[in-house]
Amino acid sequence: MSAATDGDDADPLLKVRGLKVHFPITQGILLQRTVGHVQAVDGVDLDVRRGQTLGLVGESGSGKSTLGRGILRLGVPLTAGTVEYDGVDIAGLKGERLRKQRSSMQMVFQDPMASLNPRQSVETLITEPLRAHGKPVNSDTVGRLLELVGLPRGAALRYPHEFSGGQRQRLGIARAVALEPALVIADEPVSALDVSVQAQVLNLLEELQERLGLTYVVIAHDLAVVRHVSDVVAVMYLGGIVEEADSDDLYQSPLHPYTRALMSAVPVPDPEVEDHRERILLRGDIPSSADPPAGCRFHTRCPYRQPTRCDDERPELRVLRPGHSAACHYAEQIARGDIEPADAAQMVGTS
Amino acid sequence: MTRPVGVRSEPLLEVEDLAVVFHGSRGDVEAVSEVSFSVRPGEHVALVGESGSGKSVTALAVMGLLPPRSTTVRGSIRYDGDELLDLDARSRRDLRGAEMAMIFQDPMTSLNPVVPIGVQIGEVLQRHKGLRKTEAREVSGDLLGRVGISDGKRRLKEYPHQLSGGMRQRVLIAIALACEPRLLIADEPTTALDVTIQAQILELLRELVSGTGTALVMITHDLGVVAGLCDEVHVMYSGRVVESAPRRSLFGEPRHPYTGGLLGSIPRLDSARGEPLTPIPGSPNDALPWTHSCAFAPRCGNRVDKCTVQTPALRGSEHASRPGDEQALRCFNPLDTREAS
Repeated sequence: MSAATDGDDADPLLKVRGLKVHFPITQGILLQRTVGHVQAVDGVDLDVRRGQTLGLVGESGSGKSTLGRGILRLGVPLTAGTVEYDGVDIAGLKGERLRKQRSSMQMVFQDPMASLNPRQSVETLITEPLRAHGKPVNSDTVGRLLELVGLPRGAALRYPHEFSGGQRQRLGIARAVALEPALVIADEPVSALDVSVQAQVLNLLEELQERLGLTYVVIAHDLAVVRHVSDVVAVMYLGGIVEEADSDDLYQSPLHPYTRALMSAVPVPDPEVEDHRERILLRGDIPSSADPPAGCRFHTRCPYRQPTRCDDERPELRVLRPGHSAACHYAEQIARGDIEPADAAQMVGTS
Repeated sequence: MTRPVGVRSEPLLEVEDLAVVFHGSRGDVEAVSEVSFSVRPGEHVALVGESGSGKSVTALAVMGLLPPRSTTVRGSIRYDGDELLDLDARSRRDLRGAEMAMIFQDPMTSLNPVVPIGVQIGEVLQRHKGLRKTEAREVSGDLLGRVGISDGKRRLKEYPHQLSGGMRQRVLIAIALACEPRLLIADEPTTALDVTIQAQILELLRELVSGTGTALVMITHDLGVVAGLCDEVHVMYSGRVVESAPRRSLFGEPRHPYTGGLLGSIPRLDSARGEPLTPIPGSPNDALPWTHSCAFAPRCGNRVDKCTVQTPALRGSEHASRPGDEQALRCFNPLDTREAS
C-alpha cells in the first residue's frame, strides 16, 4: 500500500503498483548477451489523486524521469507492475488503444528547444496533437491555446527560434494541454530556464491546473520547485521511493535520512538562514543502478546506518503517520533522536 | 562567517571600468561595460546574473582568457598593484595557474579526456613550481587527498571518464589549488552537479579557501549559493553591474528592482506552499541598449519615464552602514528601503 491511499480517497486518477523498469546491459557484437540490468525503476507504488500535483524529486540516476516516461509508456518498456489510469490498466495496452489512451495523458519536456520542431510554425506545432488524434481544428483553436498559455495570438505564424526560452516552454505547455488531457506529466519543466523566468512558468502551470482541472506529476531535481508546486511529494533514490508525504509535512519533518540530507543541502537565498543551518553532508556519489547496494539502497551513504539490518534487508515504504510514509527501518528512532549519526564530522554547522 | 571584517587590507584584485567588446562579422558587441569591483585577500565576492549578463566574460577578462584577436578589453584590471592589461601574453600566462586560477562549470569539457588526471594535475606543478615529474606525482596524490578523493595515489592513473561529476569537479579544484593561488575564480562550479554533491563541493571550497587568505570570486546565477558563501555581491544585468552590496543588505533590503525581482521569483524551500511567486515579466532577451536607457526598463515594475530615455549611472549609496562597504546602485527609481525597526 502506498501512503497516499490512506483510505480517504478510494479513486485516484493514477494508480501505480510495483512498477519496475529494467534496461538490459548487453555485450558482444553479433551474439548480444545480456550481462546485467540497469534497475532504473525498481518497485514503485504511487497514487495521484484527481486535481492534485504529485512532485517527484531525486538526483540524477534516481529513476524519476524513467518513472514518468514509464507511466506514459513513452519508449520505456515496463518490466513488471501495473499502471492504472482512471480505472484502466494501461501497462498491457498496445498500438492503437494505447495511442488513444494517451490523448488524455500528456507530457511537458525539459528542453523546449529540443522538443519543438524548428521547421514547423507555431500553428502547426500546436495543432499537431489535435490532428494526430483526429480532433477538429478551427481558426480559433490556435489563438485560444496561445492565449491560454499567455502568448499573443499573433505568434501563430512564427517559428520556435523566434521565442525566448520561457516562451518556448509556454508553447510546449500549449501542445500538452491542446487535447484537454486530465493528466500532465512535466519532466523538469523549468530547469532549463533563467531564474527570473522560472517563476512565470511555475505560475502558468498552477493557473492552468485551476482553470482546466488538471492533475500533475511534476518531476524535478530542485526540491524548492517541487515543494512549491506539489500537494504530495515523493522522494526517489536509486529507483525506489524512499519517502512520500504532504509537501508541507515533508518539509517540516522529513523522516528518511536521505530526505533530511537532501533538504539540508538545498541552499536558501537568505544569509540569516544560511548562517545558522546545519548541513548533513553525504559521503560519495549515488551508486550505479546497474549494481545497486544490497539491503537498503541508501546504506552506503547513510549517516544513521545500523549494523547488519540496513545492509541485508531492503526496507519497505511504511506509513509512519497519516499521509506520511518512509522506507527506513529506523525512521522512528531517528526522529526521536535515539540514533545518533555515525560520523559527527559530517554534520557541518556554518555559523 | 568567521572571517575578521575589522581589518581592511589592500585589495588583491581591482577591476575598474572594465569593458569587453567582441568583434563579430556583423559588427561589434559590447558584452560588458563599466564593471568595477575589488577583492581583498580572504574575501569572497560574488558576481550574480542570468545568462547573457556578462558575468563569465568578466571572469575570462580577469584571467586573460579571451581571444585577443576578436576581443577588445578596456579599463583597468590591477592585480596586487600591477596593471594586467599592460602585461604581455607570456607574463599573464605565468600568473595564471600560479597566482590566479579558475574553476569552470563543466568538469568534463575542461579536463582532457585522453590524459590521466595525475598528469593534468602534475603539469601545473611542473610548469609553475618547476617540480620534477616524480615530485609532481607525489604532490598530486596529496592534493587529491586534500580535495576529498581517497586513495589519491592510485587514482592518479585514472581518466576523467572513470570519475563521477562530483569527482571531476574535485579534480578541477585540485588543479586550481595546486600552486596555492591567491585569487580563485569559480565560474558556476556547482551548476552541473546534484544538490548533495553541490553541498560537498561548496563545503570543500569554503574549507580550502578560508584560513588561507585566498580571495574568491564566485560567479553564479544561484542566489542561494551566494547567500551562504559570499561577503560582497555584485548583481549584473545585460553587461553592467546594477547593484553592489554586502550580502546581508542585498538579501535583506534589495534596492534594485531586478535584485528584488530575482529574490521574489525563486521558490524557497522554507516558504509555505501556495505562497505565490512574483515573477519578473519578459525575459533577459528583452534588454534595451544601455546607451540611452536602462536595459532592465522593459521588465521593470518601478519604471518611470526617465528610464527609457536616459542611462542610469552607478551611484554609491549614501547610507553605507560601514565605511569600506561597497554599496552601489544603478537605478532612477529604486525599491524603498524598509523602515528600520
